[in-house]
Amino acid sequence: MTSILECRGLTKVYGKVIAVNNVSLGIGRGETKVIFGPSGSGKSTLLRCLGLLEKPTKGSIYFNGVDVYASKQDLNKLRARIGFVFQDPSLFRHLTALGNVMLGLKHVLGLSDAEARRKAYEALKLVKMEDWANYYPAQLSGGQQQRVGIARAISMDPEVVLFDEPTAALDVELKWEVIAVMRDLAERGTTMLVATHELRFAREVADEMIFMDQGQIIEAGSPDHFFTSPNTERARKFMAKILG
Amino acid sequence: MTPLEQIIFLLKAVPVTLAISFLSFLLGLGLGVSLAFMRIYGVAPLRYFSDSYEKFFRSVPVLAVMLLLYFGIGPLAPIFKDPFFTSVISLGMVSGANQSQIFRSAIGSVGRTQMLAAISIGLTQLKAMRYVILPQALFLAVPGLGSEIALLIKDSAYSFIIGVIELMKHTDILRASQRSLILPYISSAIIYVVMTFPVATYLDKWGSRKKRELGL
Repeated sequence: MTSILECRGLTKVYGKVIAVNNVSLGIGRGETKVIFGPSGSGKSTLLRCLGLLEKPTKGSIYFNGVDVYASKQDLNKLRARIGFVFQDPSLFRHLTALGNVMLGLKHVLGLSDAEARRKAYEALKLVKMEDWANYYPAQLSGGQQQRVGIARAISMDPEVVLFDEPTAALDVELKWEVIAVMRDLAERGTTMLVATHELRFAREVADEMIFMDQGQIIEAGSPDHFFTSPNTERARKFMAKILG
Repeated sequence: MTPLEQIIFLLKAVPVTLAISFLSFLLGLGLGVSLAFMRIYGVAPLRYFSDSYEKFFRSVPVLAVMLLLYFGIGPLAPIFKDPFFTSVISLGMVSGANQSQIFRSAIGSVGRTQMLAAISIGLTQLKAMRYVILPQALFLAVPGLGSEIALLIKDSAYSFIIGVIELMKHTDILRASQRSLILPYISSAIIYVVMTFPVATYLDKWGSRKKRELGL
């Protein structure tokens, strides 16, 4: 399968710390891939590089087969085609839920106010937040904010959506409302790369799971593979720790 | 003149005082926002320029700037022979340095993640500033801007030295014509308090409330 988004030999270094070390992976249309691993294993940095929010120190990123940095493409236009959901929802605090979703539709895609409003409502409906459209982020729970964050990302009709531990900052109860939305998106065929510790979610929806540790991909395989017989000791120990 | 006539005479100068304050505030606002963005997001020469501008104009008395422009530059550039114009420019230039500091701190408080989130949906850095960073920074800056407006209203009194017929000039005319020190100055002081205190207090409260409501 041709990858929509792919990295080859991606390395990201901050000072003396190697956050991501020579990682290669790709995600094809309609696939859901889950990256998991201990905190500080480089998942977030990898996703930020793939989301074109940080430039890799070494290696290449391909979007629809074209080397993003070598071809000097307009990064802003590409970012609009790669949805990104942050761990902290990072909603724009001066705008309502609707305003948050409409902003990119109007000022990036150039839709009219009416068209942007219609599309924003559709996206909010998908994440079951249409009744909260006129509320400000400060008036919403963490889970609701995260659902608006997802609506903001998917409203742009991105070709792939990257989720950076979207449930990590949420209570157990709120976690599940976000996971339910992500499950829905996966079932609709949205192309998703998700960094998460929610292994039950991964088992249900992932086409492939990727285990990272110390900035490297240690092992990749199907959910069944990881839940029955991971190859490496590190993956086995991590699975046991998470699953209790 | 009866005391009431004296107060009416003073009040007649208030529109000029307010016009100087308002126009210099607007000039300072434009300068302050631009300098703050230069300092935070600009390339090295712009950052250096902004830093030097801020340091210089925060250290120099507004009266010195006004006298320099009016008496020093005025003979060379006729535009500065106009006392009203020179007052607005002097106050605005100094206010720009103060407002730059207010906005720099407000933009810093908005946080880097907001810029990252804005860029992640495909906004250019300029659009991210326009639609995401600046509106939030404005809310955060409001209490500081309230104090700046109050300062400008007070500092506009310096304009009388270069010949602007504003509130302090009317106070001085009364002092000379009525041979009274107490009533003109006390009345004038009360008018300044009435102009400055409610604005600063209201904007401080409004800004704090908005900050709370929006979780800024």
